[in-house]
Amino acid sequence: MGGDAFTFKFLGLTFNATNIISGLVIYAIVFFVLFGMSRKIQMKPKGAQNVLEWLIDFTNGIVRSQMPNEETGHYSFLAFVLFVFIFFANQFGLIFNLSWNNQEILRSPTADPVVTLTFSLMVIVLAHFAGIANKGFGGYLKGYVKPFALMLPVNIIEELANFLTLGLRIFGNIFAGELLLKLVAGVAFSHGALTIIPGFLLELLWQGFSVFIGSIQAYVFVTLTTVYISRKVSE
Amino acid sequence: MFVNSVLAESNSLYVGDLVFYIVTFIILMLLIKHFAWKPVTDMMKKRADKIASDIDNAAKSRENAEKMAAKRQAELQNSHQEAADIVNNAKKSGEVQRTQIVEAAQNDAQALKQRAQEDAKQARRDALNGAKDDVANLSIEIASKLIHKELNADDQKELIDSYIEGLVDHES
Repeated sequence: MGGDAFTFKFLGLTFNATNIISGLVIYAIVFFVLFGMSRKIQMKPKGAQNVLEWLIDFTNGIVRSQMPNEETGHYSFLAFVLFVFIFFANQFGLIFNLSWNNQEILRSPTADPVVTLTFSLMVIVLAHFAGIANKGFGGYLKGYVKPFALMLPVNIIEELANFLTLGLRIFGNIFAGELLLKLVAGVAFSHGALTIIPGFLLELLWQGFSVFIGSIQAYVFVTLTTVYISRKVSE
Repeated sequence: MFVNSVLAESNSLYVGDLVFYIVTFIILMLLIKHFAWKPVTDMMKKRADKIASDIDNAAKSRENAEKMAAKRQAELQNSHQEAADIVNNAKKSGEVQRTQIVEAAQNDAQALKQRAQEDAKQARRDALNGAKDDVANLSIEIASKLIHKELNADDQKELIDSYIEGLVDHES
């Protein structure tokens, strides 16, 4: 978007500095927001504690609606952290989109397919491990020939498709949103005062819509995560 | 195909980011679990337990209160009964005392009247007796005066003295 990816090599692996800087900033934001909200924990909640408890209830509700009650324990925590992180990551690029020397420094890390596929890979691997841990290796393999043996290739393709769609869906939404923000900004400054006012309004409109999309995508990602895990764990 | 679609956005596949994000995300999860998730969910669980026990306690104390209220009601009824009994007893004993007092007063009055009548009769009798004596004395004196008319001065004087003495005697 705002220039080339700023990559460097370390220990034989290629790193993208934009993603790493943005990721660290978002980690810090997520941590300090949650840290600040959980300082004065009381029996009778007040202020920030109410917000945090509402958030926990919200993600717990997503998990509870997808899996049996006795399995929710650890996954509700994963869902909570995933939701908060992806939500902040999605909104981050709408506010901070920083470039320097034609190289991006800050943007949404979720506008990069490598990052989103990292998260979907994490979730899918976790789901498969949970399936093996819960039903044993035999029970896990039997899941591929359900409802009958002929479905084996379809099931394998489905697993791969789950992994790709989970990551690429959020990448597509956030990437497209930020790209359009850039384009509208470019149009707004192209013809001076003639375009700056409609451009400003259009940018405002699209930013609001992007906030909405970012929240929905965080919700969808967490919901699908719990769906994939519960499908491996239950039955 | 997959590698191409990813490479289309970026110039090279930066696998390092994958490792970076997995490691840092796990660190973030550990930190959040320790600093935010645990205290809040513990408190939520504690609150849920407290509310459950509060509901139980409320049911218990309501039961107790109902029992107490029934007991109070019974006691109140008893005390009404007792009060009525006390008033009735007081009325009865008052009635009895009244009749007793009236009877005693009537008896006293009767006795007083009788004694007064007796006294009056006695006085009349005494008076009659006294009058009889006086009449007798007077007639005797008149007779003796008539008889002593012929006496001398000394005798006369003696007679008068005796008369006066008799008068004094009679008076005393």
